Amino acid sequence: MSESLHQALDLSLFWEYRHVLLGGLAVNFYVFAAAAVLALGIGLGAALLRVNRLPVFRWLGTLHVEVFRNAPEYIMVVWVHFVLPLLLGYIIHSRLEFNPFVSSVIGLGFVYSGYFAETFRAGIEAIPIAHIEAGRSLGMPERLIFRRIVLPQVVRRMLPESVNQFISLFKATTIVSLIAVPDLMYDVTMITQQEMRPLPLYTGAALTYFAVILAASSVLRALSERWRARIYA
Amino acid sequence: MGNWQRLVWNQRDALMAGIVVTVEVCAIAFAIAVLVGLLLCLVRMYVRPLRPIVIVVIEFFRATPILVQLLWVNYVWPALFGWPDSFFAAAWVALAVQSSGYLAETFRGAIEAIPKGQREAAYSVGMSPVLVFWRIVMPQAALSSAPSIVNQFTVIVKSSTLVSVITVPDLMFQSQKIVNIWYEPIEILTATAALYIVLIFLVSAAGKHISDVLRRRYAIAAT
Amino acid sequence: MTAPTIRVVELHKRFGPLEVLKGVSFDVHRGKVVSMIGASGSGKSTLLRCINHLETPTAGDVLIDGESLCYRASPDGKRKLRPLSEINRMRRDLGIVFQQFNLWPHMTVVGNVIEAPQRVRGLSRKEAMELGAACLARVHLAEKATQYPARLSGGQQQRVAIARALAMQPKVMLFDEPTSSLDPELTEEVLGVMRELAADGTTMIVVTHEMGFARDVSDRVMFLHNGLIEEEGPPQDIFGAPKSERLRQFISKHLR
Repeated sequence: MSESLHQALDLSLFWEYRHVLLGGLAVNFYVFAAAAVLALGIGLGAALLRVNRLPVFRWLGTLHVEVFRNAPEYIMVVWVHFVLPLLLGYIIHSRLEFNPFVSSVIGLGFVYSGYFAETFRAGIEAIPIAHIEAGRSLGMPERLIFRRIVLPQVVRRMLPESVNQFISLFKATTIVSLIAVPDLMYDVTMITQQEMRPLPLYTGAALTYFAVILAASSVLRALSERWRARIYA
Repeated sequence: MGNWQRLVWNQRDALMAGIVVTVEVCAIAFAIAVLVGLLLCLVRMYVRPLRPIVIVVIEFFRATPILVQLLWVNYVWPALFGWPDSFFAAAWVALAVQSSGYLAETFRGAIEAIPKGQREAAYSVGMSPVLVFWRIVMPQAALSSAPSIVNQFTVIVKSSTLVSVITVPDLMFQSQKIVNIWYEPIEILTATAALYIVLIFLVSAAGKHISDVLRRRYAIAAT
Repeated sequence: MTAPTIRVVELHKRFGPLEVLKGVSFDVHRGKVVSMIGASGSGKSTLLRCINHLETPTAGDVLIDGESLCYRASPDGKRKLRPLSEINRMRRDLGIVFQQFNLWPHMTVVGNVIEAPQRVRGLSRKEAMELGAACLARVHLAEKATQYPARLSGGQQQRVAIARALAMQPKVMLFDEPTSSLDPELTEEVLGVMRELAADGTTMIVVTHEMGFARDVSDRVMFLHNGLIEEEGPPQDIFGAPKSERLRQFISKHLR
C-alpha cells in the first residue's frame, strides 16, 4: 500500500505534462463561462415566465424548469450532441454535426438554466411588493422598475445560492471529456492510456480540481458575504 | 423516426436490466452516504481533536467533480487500499463519497438551526445531555434535513449516469450499447433522457411533499 | 418559621466585562407568589435563569429546600462546583415557563407533557398518560392532547408549556415573561391559568410586565434595577406607596 501511496503522490508525472493539463483546465473554464452565460440568460427568461400574469406563460416556464432541473447533465449533453443535430438536420434537409464544445455549452447551459430559473424566481418573489408599488406611484415605467429596482435586488439576494450553483456547473464541465472535448479530464485520460500510470495522474487531477474549486468557492463566498453585508447594513 | 417499437420497446429487457442496476447503485450509495455523512457530521461537531481532518475530508468530497471521484476511486483506491474490487463497488463508493460531504454539512446545519430554547426546555425538566440529543435534537434535525436528503438522492441518480464510464451496466450504459448496435440514437436517447427526467421528477416531487408536511404539521423549516 | 423553598444568596452574574447581577439575595417560602418587575436589562430574566442554572452564577448560591444548587460538599470539607448530572437531577424540582414557549415541535401536545415524566422520572407510559391528561385538564387543554404544537395558538402553546412544567411536580414554578410574546387577546388565558395555580398554593416566581397580575396575585413584588433589588414588599406597598423615584416612574409608565 505504501508503495502505491508513494506512486500516487509522486506527482512528477503530472507536473511533467503541466502545460497540456493547464490547457485542459482552461478549456474547463471556457465551457464553464459560456454555459454560465447561457444558463443565466435562459434562466432569467424562464423565471420571468414563471412570474408572469398569464397562466400559459407560467405553465411554459414551469415546464422548462421541471424538465431541465430534473435532467442529468450527462444525458443532456449526449442528447444535444448526438440527437439534436439529426433532428435539426431533418428540418433543414441536410446533415448537421455539432462541435462537441458547442454541444457541451448548450447541454450544460440548458440544464443549469433550470436551477438559475428557480433561484431568480425565489429572488423576484422575495422582493417586497412595496418596493415595486413605490416605483409605480412615482410614475416609473415597468421596464425601468424591473431594471433599476427589482433586478439589482434579485442579484444581490440570490448571490450566495448562485455561488453554489456556479461551483456545481464548473464541476459538471468535466463531463465534456466524455464527448472528446479536450478538457483536463480528457487530457488526463489520454495521457493515462499512453503512460499506463493512472495513480499519479488521477490523484493529480483530483487535487487540482480540489485546489481550484476550494480556492474559487472561498473567494466567491467571501466576496458575496461582503457584498451582501453592504446592501443590508 | 417511427422506429420507436424496434429501438425502444423491443429493447425493454435490456433497458429494464439497466434501470435495475441504476436503482441498485443509487440505493446503496444513498444509504452509505447518509450513514457516512452522519458520522462525519457528529465527529466534526463533537470530537474536537479530529475536527480539522474531518473538515478537510468533507471539503475534499465536496470540491471534486463526480467524474474525477469516480475515476479516482476506480483506478487509484484498489492500488492504495486493495478495494473496491469491482466496477459496481467503485460506482457506489464514488457516489456515496460525493454525497456524504454534502449530507454532513446538511446535518450540521440542521442541528445548529435548532433554537437554543429547545435544549433549554429539555434541560429544565431534568433531561440529561444524552437524552436531550436523542429525543429532542436528532429528531428535529432529521425532520428538517429530510428534504435536503431527498434532494441528494436526486443528485445521486443524476450522477449515476456517469458510472457507465467505468462499464457498470446501468440504464445509460444499456442505451449507449443499443445506439452502438443500431446507429440510430434519436429514439433511444430521447427515451432514456425522458426516463431519467421522469424518475428524478418523481423523487423531487416526493421531497417537496415532505417539506410541505414538515411545514404544515410541525412548523419545522427545511434546512 | 419553616426553611424557605428557594433562597438566593448574594447572586452575581457577569457576562464578560458586563456585570448583570450585582449581589441579589431573597427568600421565597412555600405557597407564596413572588413577582419580579423592572426595566429591560435590569437583570430579572438573568436572575430567573440563574435560579434553575440555565446561566451559571459568577458568585453566590441558590438553595432549594436548604440544598445548594451550585455547590456540593466535598469529602475534605471544602465546597466544589456541582456537576451537571446532579444539577439536572435537582432541576426536576424547578419548573420553568419560557417567553418563547419552547414546545418540542416534533411531538404532540401530550407527548411534550409526558416526555420528562416518562424518561426522567421513569413513569410507565400508562402512568405518564394519566398524569399528562390531568396536567392538560388543569390548563384547560385536555381536548388538544393529540395535536401538534404547530396547530395551537400562542396562548394555547404557552398553557401546554405550563402543563409540561407542572407534569414534573416541581417545588417551584418559574415564569420568564410568559405573556410577552403573546398578542394582547391571548395573554388573559395564560394569566388566568397562572391565577388558578396561585390560588391552588403553587410556589411561583414570576418575571413579568403585567403589572395588574403582579399587583393582584403576588404576595410580594421585587423591583429590580441595574442588577440589584431596588425595592421590595407587598404589592400594596410597591404599587400604592412606592418609595424610590425610579419605581414611581416605572409604575406610572407601565401600569394601565
